[in-house]
Amino acid sequence: MTKKISRKTKMNKKGDKLLSVYWFLILVIVATGIVLMVNVFYGNPYDVREIESALLANKVADCIYYGGEVNPEIFSVQGVFKESFRDGFMEDCSLNFDVQGDFVQVPYYIEVDFFSGINSKKSEFNITEGNNNLKPDCKIEVADSSKLAKCTDKSFFMRTKNGGVYFVKLLTIISKTNENTN
Amino acid sequence: MHKKRGKKGEILVENIIFIVLNVLFLAILIIFLLNQGNGTLLLEDSYSKEIALLIDSAKPGMIMTINLEKAKEVLDKNGISFDEGILIKDHYVTVKLGENSGKSYHFFNDIEINPYLEKNGEGDFTGFYTLTFEKKT
Repeated sequence: MTKKISRKTKMNKKGDKLLSVYWFLILVIVATGIVLMVNVFYGNPYDVREIESALLANKVADCIYYGGEVNPEIFSVQGVFKESFRDGFMEDCSLNFDVQGDFVQVPYYIEVDFFSGINSKKSEFNITEGNNNLKPDCKIEVADSSKLAKCTDKSFFMRTKNGGVYFVKLLTIISKTNENTN
Repeated sequence: MHKKRGKKGEILVENIIFIVLNVLFLAILIIFLLNQGNGTLLLEDSYSKEIALLIDSAKPGMIMTINLEKAKEVLDKNGISFDEGILIKDHYVTVKLGENSGKSYHFFNDIEINPYLEKNGEGDFTGFYTLTFEKKT
């Protein structure tokens, strides 16, 4: 009887040791899983391009039409679009796309179209600034679009002092892929 | 009788070692997770982008105060002065919290920025960064 009990206690001890080994094995597996998950989560840089693109669109929109008033630099006294606004667009709208480094492509693109009506297909006045090579990225539909530039479309109506109404379409694009993706 | 007491003692010691190892393991895991969240590279990336986006959204006449206390803690740990850690120059926000690290992010808003680092009564930096925006002349 006493022999049986001592055998049982020996087996229990072995079982305990075996359990603790498995317990540590489970802990190691859990820890590895947590470390991997944390690395995946924190390893990717913050992608702020969508917000940045929306901010750029808002800035351009405010530059063209702010508080119900059209920027006086856009139209001449006769109500015709001024070419000087297109030429000095970056300065008038307080924008700067100069990036540092040799052979670095400009990571921004802006396109503004003024239509005389919502159904009008031909824009009456057009402004483009930045790198237009980024434009095709907006049309590509792929599952993983993180390596593509981020685009923002915005449109609004604008009433001029002369009573004319224009439909303004904006497109802003930000690439900055290196800074925002792995 | 003596043998029985010895066995009980062994079980107690084994259990204590087991519990201590478990606690140690959990502590290391928690420290790792906390360090990851407050890591230099992560803070540099997030701060440079956040400040750049704030500048992009700014209009002349605005005053913004940014809480950079976490960045200051890391800078103090690394022995770098707070005024050397954050730099706004040539349309780039550069955040450098470590000796061999640093992140820069470009902003498109062409605006005059006057940064001011808040100090307390003793002349030490508080970790608050104030930006005043004016139209470029």
